[in-house]
Amino acid sequence: MNKQTVISAKHLKKSFGVKDNVQTIYSDLNIDIYKGDFTVIMGSSGAGKSTLMYSLSGMDKPDGGQIDFDGTDITKLNSDRLAVFRRKQCGFVFQQIYLIDKMSLMDNVITAGVLTSKNKEEIKDRAKRLFSLVNIPENTWKKTSSQISGGEAQRAGIVRAVINQPNVLFADEPTGALNSANGTAVLDVFSSLHEKGQSIVMVTHDKKSALRGSRILYIKDGKIFGECNLGKFEPDNAERTETFEKFIAEMGW
Amino acid sequence: MNKTKALVLHNLKKTKGQYLSFALIICLTAFIMNIAIVLAFQTFDAYDSLFSELDTADINFLIPQFQDDSEIIAGIEKIDGITRAEKHGGVFVSTTVREFADSDFDMNIVFYNLDEARTLNQLEISEYLKEDENTVYIPMYMKELGGFTEGGSITYSIGDADYTYEIGGIVTEMQYGNYGTGLIGGYFPAAVYENFADEQRERSITEYSVRIDGSADLLQIKKDITKYLSDKKITVLNMNDKVSAKQTRTMVCTLLIIIFLALAAIILAVSIFLSSFRIRSAIVDELAQMGVLKAVGYTSKMIICSAVWPYVLTGLVSTALGAALSYTVLPDAAAILAIQSGFLYTPAFDITALLIVVTVPVAVIFLFAYISAMKIHKLEPIDAIRGISGKGKTGQNILLSVLSIGIMVLLSFAGTLLFNVSVKPDNFLNTLSEESPSVIFSVQKDKMSELKNLLWGDSRTKLVLEYAEVSVSYADGSLTAFVCEDFGKVTNDICYEGRSPKKENEIAVGNALADSYPIGSRIEITSSDKSEHYIVTGYIQSVNNGGRVCQLTKEGYEKIGGKTSTVNVYLHDTSTGEFIAEYEDNHSELVASSVNYEQLSENGRKMYAGIVSAVTAVLFMISVLMVLLVLYVIIHSMISRRRQEFGIYKAIGYTSRQLTMMTVSRFIPVVAGSAFCSAIAGIWYLPIINHAIFSRIGAIKNQFEVSIWVLLAFAVIFTVTAFLISVLLAAPIKKITVYSLLKD
Repeated sequence: MNKQTVISAKHLKKSFGVKDNVQTIYSDLNIDIYKGDFTVIMGSSGAGKSTLMYSLSGMDKPDGGQIDFDGTDITKLNSDRLAVFRRKQCGFVFQQIYLIDKMSLMDNVITAGVLTSKNKEEIKDRAKRLFSLVNIPENTWKKTSSQISGGEAQRAGIVRAVINQPNVLFADEPTGALNSANGTAVLDVFSSLHEKGQSIVMVTHDKKSALRGSRILYIKDGKIFGECNLGKFEPDNAERTETFEKFIAEMGW
Repeated sequence: MNKTKALVLHNLKKTKGQYLSFALIICLTAFIMNIAIVLAFQTFDAYDSLFSELDTADINFLIPQFQDDSEIIAGIEKIDGITRAEKHGGVFVSTTVREFADSDFDMNIVFYNLDEARTLNQLEISEYLKEDENTVYIPMYMKELGGFTEGGSITYSIGDADYTYEIGGIVTEMQYGNYGTGLIGGYFPAAVYENFADEQRERSITEYSVRIDGSADLLQIKKDITKYLSDKKITVLNMNDKVSAKQTRTMVCTLLIIIFLALAAIILAVSIFLSSFRIRSAIVDELAQMGVLKAVGYTSKMIICSAVWPYVLTGLVSTALGAALSYTVLPDAAAILAIQSGFLYTPAFDITALLIVVTVPVAVIFLFAYISAMKIHKLEPIDAIRGISGKGKTGQNILLSVLSIGIMVLLSFAGTLLFNVSVKPDNFLNTLSEESPSVIFSVQKDKMSELKNLLWGDSRTKLVLEYAEVSVSYADGSLTAFVCEDFGKVTNDICYEGRSPKKENEIAVGNALADSYPIGSRIEITSSDKSEHYIVTGYIQSVNNGGRVCQLTKEGYEKIGGKTSTVNVYLHDTSTGEFIAEYEDNHSELVASSVNYEQLSENGRKMYAGIVSAVTAVLFMISVLMVLLVLYVIIHSMISRRRQEFGIYKAIGYTSRQLTMMTVSRFIPVVAGSAFCSAIAGIWYLPIINHAIFSRIGAIKNQFEVSIWVLLAFAVIFTVTAFLISVLLAAPIKKITVYSLLKD
C-alpha cells in the first residue's frame, strides 16, 4: 500500500552560530513524513532532532531547502502566515509542557481551540471528550497547571495540541520531564491517538518512548542515517522490540 | 479580537493588582485633567455667557461729572464701530477699605445707584437682604477675597472720614468685579446713594458704557474715544474694556489650568512608562508562553493585542472614572476661582472634556504599549520556547528615573514656592507686588516736607520715600502710575527690562504696553486736563493691574498737574503698630491717614503661605501615591521573576531581611541618583518653570530664590519615602519558603 506523504522536505540546510563559530546541523537533508505514521526521530544529543522537527512544523526556518507540508511550501511563508498554518495543521507537545500558568486546563485548551472554531461550546465538548480520552477527571479541568501533577499537565498539553484536529501532532521529548508512571500514561495517550489515525512526529532519546513509534528515523551526521519500520505498537510483541533494539544498535546507540 | 478575548481577560486577571495600580494612576491623571479642561472650557464660556446675559458694555470709561455735557454721548455714538452708548452717574473715590481680609486695603471704588435703570452693565443681585439708609451692596470679589458677608458691615475710609454700612447683598457684574482692573464697584440703594453723592459732590463722575459692533476694532475705538475726549480737554479717570477685564478676571483660572495640565502630563508620562515597563517585563517573564502561543497558531498581532488591550481597557475605564470623580470637586474648584474672578458658576457635565480626557491618555497609552509590545513580532516561537531571544531589558531603570525626575520636578517647584513664601517671603511679595514699605502715610495738605523731615529724624526710620499710586490715562485707556521721588531708592525693583525713569520726561511702562511702546519711543500721558509726552526707558511688571501700569518721577507727574500726597516709610526692627499710633496721635496735623503695610503684607503672606502649603501637601500626597503604585508594580514583578532565586538564597541561609535589602538596593540607587540629579538640575530649570508660570499673571521678573539646600532636602525626603515604601512592598519576600521553591 502506497503511503500518502504529508510532509516532504528536500535539501534542508540548518546551521547555528556566526562567522568563525558556525555549527552545521544538516546541510542536505531529505525526509518524508507519511500520513497515519507515528514517526519517531532519534539521534544522539546535538544531532539536530528537535531542530529538524521544528523545521518540519514551521516553528523554525531552515537556512535552505524546501518543505512541502500538505501541498504548501512552508519555507515561503512569513511568520504570521506560518502561525495561521500551524493552528490548522500542527499540534505541539513540549518537554516542559508550557501550559499557560494561572489559566485553567480547560481554558488552556479553549485558548488554542478558538483559533479555528467560533463555536465555543463545540470546542468545550471536544475538549471534554479529549480530557476523558487522556484520563483527566472533570474535577481537574478547572485547575491550573501548578495544582496538578506533571503527568496530568502533559496529558492536558496533548489535549491542547490535538483540539484543532491537526494534520500532524509534533512532540518534543514529551516524557522527558516526567517520572516513569506518568511517562507511560502519556505514551499510552500517544498510542491511543495513533490508533485513531493521528499522524505523529516525536523526537526522543528514550527507547521506551521510541518503541511506541511505527517508523523510526535515526539522524546522524546531518542526515537520516537509518530507518526502521516497526508497524503498529504492540506491547507484548517481542519480535517488534527485538527489531527495534537491533536497529538502534546498528545506528550506534 | 474575539480570538484574543480569552488571552486579554486572562492577562487582566493574572496581574489584576498591577492593572489596579495602573488604573489608579490613570484615574488620578484623568481626575486632574478633567478639572483643568472643564474649567478651561466652561469658565471662559460662563464668563462670556454672563457677560452677554448682563448686557455688559464693551468699553467703560469714567470722566469727572463737572466735565460732562449733553453733547458727549452724541459725539461718542458718532465714532465708527460704536453701536450704542449709555451714561450713568457715580461717585469715584480713592478709599481704604477697613478689615479687608483682616487688613486695610487701598482701593479705587466707584459707587453707583443700585436702583437706577440700566440697559447696559446690568447687575445680578445674588443676595437681597435689606434696603435702608445704611445699606451697601458689594461685588462678589469683596465677599470672596475680602471676607465680607451679607448682614455684616464694611467701612470705607475716604479722606478723614469713615463710612460704615451694613452689607445688604452681593452683586455680580462683569465690568468692575475684580480689583485687578484697578477699580471696583459699590452699590447703594437710591436714598443712600443720594446722601453719599451729596457728601462727595466733588468726586462725582459720569460713567459712559459703550457697545461696539461685533467686527469693530476694540483698540482703535478706544483710541478714537480717548482722542475725542482729549480734544474736548476731558479727563479720563478710568477706562477698561471687555478683553482686558476678561484677561484679568480669568488669570488665576488660566494659571490653575496650566499647573493642572502640567501635573496631569507628568503623571501620564509616568503611567506610560509604567505600562511599557509592564509589557517589557511580561515579554521577559512569559517568553516561553508567548512562544507556545505562537506555536499553537497565534499570530504576533494577536499576542500583541493580548498584551496591549488590557492597558487600553484599563485606561478606558479608569479615565472615565477619573473624569466622573472630578465632578465631585469641580464646584469647589469653581468656587475657589470665584475668589479671584468675582463670579460664580456651577460646572456642568462636559462631553467634549470627557472625550478628550478619555481619548488622549488612552491613545497615548495604546501607542506606547504597542511600541513596547512590537518586540513580540521578532520573537521566533522556537527561540522563545528555548529562552534564546527576548531576554532583553525591561526598562525598569528608565521607569524609575522618569518617576523620580517627574516627582522631583513637582516637589522642587512646590518646595521652592513654599521656601519663598514661608522662609523668604520678601522674594514672593516682591514678585507679586510693587513696593513693600512698613507704613504708608497720607500727608495733610502742603505738609509733605515737614513730615519727611520729622520722619528722617526718627531713629526708627530706615528710609522715607515719596511714593504714590495714582491713575493716569494714555491713548488706549487708563494706567495705574507709580510715582516716586527717586526710583533708585525703592526696595523692590520691578523693572524687568531697561530702567526706571530718572528724569521728568522719562517713563517706564507695564508689560501690557511693551509691544506697542518700544524702549526709546514716546507715549502721551494725561492727568487732569494736562498731557505730556514721555520717553519710554524700560518695562515694569505688575500682577494687580493686568500690566497696565507705568512709573513716573515725582517731577514728571507734576508736569501733568499731579501732586503726590503719600509717603512710604521703611522702618528698622520696631513695632510698626506703635509707630503708626504715635504719629497718628502726636502728629495728626501732618498725617491724614496711615496704612500698616507691614501687617497687610504679612496677612497676604499668611494667605499665600496657607495656599502654597496646601498645594505642597497635595503634591506630596500625589507623589507618595505615585511612588507607591509604581514601586508596587516593579517590586511585584521583581519578586515574581526572582522567586526561585530568593528560594535558593533562603536555602543557603540568607534571611528575609537581607533579601529585602538586596531587592531594595537594586533600584534605590537609581531613584536616589535621579532625584538628586533632578534636584541639582532644578537650579537651572526651576527659574524657567517659575518664569513660565508667573509671567502668565504678569510677574515677569521672578525674584524667587532657588535654594539648592531646599531641593536637596526634598530629594532626601523623596528617597527616604521611596526606600520605606519599597521595604514595605518587599514584605512578600518573607513568604517565600525553601519548600515553595522545591514545589515550583
